[in-house]
Amino acid sequence: MFTSTTNRRDFIKKMAKLSAITAAVSMFPGILFAEEQERGLPKDANLDWKKAPCRFCGVGCGVLVGVEKGKAVAVKGDPKSTVNKGLCCVKGYHSVMAMYGNDRLTKPLVKKNGTYVETTMDEALDLIASKMKETINDHGKDAVSIYGSGQWTIPDGYVASKLFKGCIGTNNVEANARLCMASAVTGFLTSFGLDEPMGCYEDIDHADVFVLWGNNMAEMHPVLFSRLLDQRLKRGVKIIDFATRTTRTSMAADKSILFLPQTDLAVANAICYEIIKNNWVNKSFVEKHCNFSKGLTNMGYGLEDKYKFTDKPEKISFEAYKTFLEDYTPEKVEKISGVSAKDIKYMAAYYGDPNKKVMSLWCMGPNQHSRGTWMNNLIYNIHLLTGKISTPGNSPFSLTGQPSACGTVREVGTLTHKLPHGVVMNKKHREFAAKIWDVPVENIDPKPTYHTVEMFRALDRGDIRFMWIQVTNPMVTMPKLKRYRDAAKKEGRFIVVSDIYPTPTTDIADVILPSAMWIEREGMYGNSERRTQYFEQMVEPPGEAISDTWQLVEVAKRLGYEKQFYYNKETHIEEIYAEYRKHHEGKKHNMAPLKVLKENSGMQWPYVDGKPTKWRFNSKYDPACSNGETFHFYGKPDGKAIIWQRPYEPAAEEPDAEYPYWLNTGRVVEHWHTGSMTRRIPVLHKAMPHGYVELNPDDAKRLQIQTGDRVKLTTRRGEIILPASVNQRGVPAPMQVFVPFFDENMLINDITLDSFCPISKEPDYKKCAVNIEKA
Amino acid sequence: MKKRLGIIALFVLLFIAFIWVWNYSYFQGKEEAYIPINANKELPVVASEMGVFERSKYALDYANMPIDEAHQRSLKTYYENRAFYGAPPSIPHEVEDDRNMGENSCLKCHGNGGFTEKFKAYAPVTPHPEMVNCRQCHVPQKTQILFKETQFMRGTVPSAGTNNALEGSPPVIPHQLQMRENCLSCHAGPSAPKEIRVTHPERINCRQCHVLNNKVIEDIGIFKRSNANE
Repeated sequence: MFTSTTNRRDFIKKMAKLSAITAAVSMFPGILFAEEQERGLPKDANLDWKKAPCRFCGVGCGVLVGVEKGKAVAVKGDPKSTVNKGLCCVKGYHSVMAMYGNDRLTKPLVKKNGTYVETTMDEALDLIASKMKETINDHGKDAVSIYGSGQWTIPDGYVASKLFKGCIGTNNVEANARLCMASAVTGFLTSFGLDEPMGCYEDIDHADVFVLWGNNMAEMHPVLFSRLLDQRLKRGVKIIDFATRTTRTSMAADKSILFLPQTDLAVANAICYEIIKNNWVNKSFVEKHCNFSKGLTNMGYGLEDKYKFTDKPEKISFEAYKTFLEDYTPEKVEKISGVSAKDIKYMAAYYGDPNKKVMSLWCMGPNQHSRGTWMNNLIYNIHLLTGKISTPGNSPFSLTGQPSACGTVREVGTLTHKLPHGVVMNKKHREFAAKIWDVPVENIDPKPTYHTVEMFRALDRGDIRFMWIQVTNPMVTMPKLKRYRDAAKKEGRFIVVSDIYPTPTTDIADVILPSAMWIEREGMYGNSERRTQYFEQMVEPPGEAISDTWQLVEVAKRLGYEKQFYYNKETHIEEIYAEYRKHHEGKKHNMAPLKVLKENSGMQWPYVDGKPTKWRFNSKYDPACSNGETFHFYGKPDGKAIIWQRPYEPAAEEPDAEYPYWLNTGRVVEHWHTGSMTRRIPVLHKAMPHGYVELNPDDAKRLQIQTGDRVKLTTRRGEIILPASVNQRGVPAPMQVFVPFFDENMLINDITLDSFCPISKEPDYKKCAVNIEKA
Repeated sequence: MKKRLGIIALFVLLFIAFIWVWNYSYFQGKEEAYIPINANKELPVVASEMGVFERSKYALDYANMPIDEAHQRSLKTYYENRAFYGAPPSIPHEVEDDRNMGENSCLKCHGNGGFTEKFKAYAPVTPHPEMVNCRQCHVPQKTQILFKETQFMRGTVPSAGTNNALEGSPPVIPHQLQMRENCLSCHAGPSAPKEIRVTHPERINCRQCHVLNNKVIEDIGIFKRSNANE
């Protein structure tokens, strides 16, 4: 073998150096020759990794972001995070690329004579403040509003609520979580009196059977679904997919059961019927911990303006409930739902088996439902009747769609009736909030104003004149969209939009503010399992972009609320969080201090005595239980959860001769909501470049439609043309079609219906009647 | 006659009884046994060591395999398929079944590799075949046209062949191990990129010589031995 002399010389030199180092190290312990040790090692690919919760869905995966030369260049899963244990999905892995689209908004834009003119941030904020003052003077305080998001960080939502509810004195505060989680909230409140799941993700590692209620988890909550698959590999758990459409989840499940839209109400009741009939009721649990109630029926669908509904709960006996269920024998329900009596009994048997731990998982299926609150109640009924709740593995688990729908909208309470702690209708709650906010209690209006759909209707009518939209894209997501788009364009309306890219919503704006997103600022998100997660600023925001929090603080100061918005620019996130924590003090909802959040991959509330509470309402895990029993549903005054009598009622608009198909809408794994971020990530856009309409192969054959053909969809609201997708990602049942809503060039929401659950006011995006033909 | 009938009847009865007993025990045997949850202990694994030996049974085959230079992959194509260094690769070919989990489709080729006539290439072997929801992270590319242009910078990638501290010393592992613990799936066999193909796949205890080198290693501060005499 030939070796050149220089190399040999080098080698000898190196050896000499190395022996010198070795000698030095043995003589002076602790001495390090860093330079020498790192020489020849790959410095270039060694990134600084910083932890954050993922920007996208409500699962709240821990990610590590790699930063190089001031730019985020890589992402990997955080192995230390108990949420995802190091795994992400394709959106998460490429999430940092969402910050670097070429058309990123970097300067405030003000509409002047129909065109957008660049301006400075100070001028834009001055204009917004003066416009707000003017609107309040001319039309009253209830003419200004803010429409936020479950993608708001906790400080964003908190300052918004403080400014509008506490200082200005209007309850015109809403967020897009009304469109996704409102039914889950009212479901929790009616059944348990307290919002958010009692269990946590760890339930997945304990349960034997998983029932997915209208939830395409393989695409929408892929990281948690992989945890299910992992458990199946290790422990042979059963996965039952109960849905209206065949998806990847159905293919992966042990059993796929299809039902007709809206009939999940009947099937859930049939399961309860079977449980009672077969004596699978956990009698001691029900006697000790449950009450039975019924509410009003035939509530309507909220299709008309100024629709109002208040439920009148009434206590009933177990016998009355039993009689009510006579209408829901599996055989009777088979006729309504298309689910065979055998399959209903199959599901009921798993719920009823005392040796099986069952976890129910659901998200938009039961939530975006014209009887969403009822559907949530009914799933809790099953778990309460069998006593399978609040213990590891026995868990009705309501999944969340957005990274901070729980953290910001539900916990901070950025909904018209909510306060950070409690509701505006309650005098004590108002006094409590006013004290922390340092405002006169009279400022907080005791009457809720508009929920989201009604808020946009009010904008149309002219009751609302000013709207500030942050971190959301309602001009893609509102149902019956055309009406609300025209409303926003009307004369005498002033719309401010804070966003990071041009979207159909910035198209209707009078002022566009460039925002700093995610790790370009500091903030916290709260995920589905009550986990609050902190992220630091890792990169600089582009141009003049600033965080939504600071935009609101600056405007508040300009409106004369310097006293309440005393925060320092450098430390405002810490100050706001410390102030916010005061609202939740106590064993039932205490939030972990910022220091703890920084040191851990998030922390679950209630955080009591330095420990998170994994299972609420169970005295073994939850220090807030005080009745001396195993379980204590302390959200209700008598400590008992409620089993609700909720019947089956049809949807607002069902297929008929003229519009014979069901129209269902939803998401795909590649895109996040309206695609304003994910479509700017090349990998994701290339994987899923445009919207489509999924048809059942039999329907497609009859109509002579192939994949790629143009298909015209017509509803009572209008028509839209989409390319067909037959037998690809998903297969809808016969006489049903499915359209994803991410494509701003094919706005499916132009033709959806704005019916909503009368209790939660959450629209039903999953059901309306449509006609399809080859275009 | 009577006697014979009696014997036949007896045997028929016995046969029926046998069928019944056999049937009963067969179906009893099929009944699922209830396994209490707390009996399931977590497998004792060192997360980062998991999988080093996963494909070691193929090691000798890899060592003896001739190199197909016409169809070997290179690091260039390897990186081109990723949005950044460490990102999950996208799927460079068409996917027929968009609905199935990976165990029925993807793993047929990517579970164990092999030459595919259709693509004139060796299928890369996945280092994590136990995760079957493949398209949770790996997506096909249906178009080359972007929705909007991007300024995302890919960051620098480590170059191959420069990762040894000393001349001739075993190179360190420059990448993250998470979900890539199974060394031989990428560093051996015909689908391994030529620059990172190992010359000695038969030495299966890879991490005996090749150690991790990245900043993720936990910082425990300056460790100082305490001296009892002080």
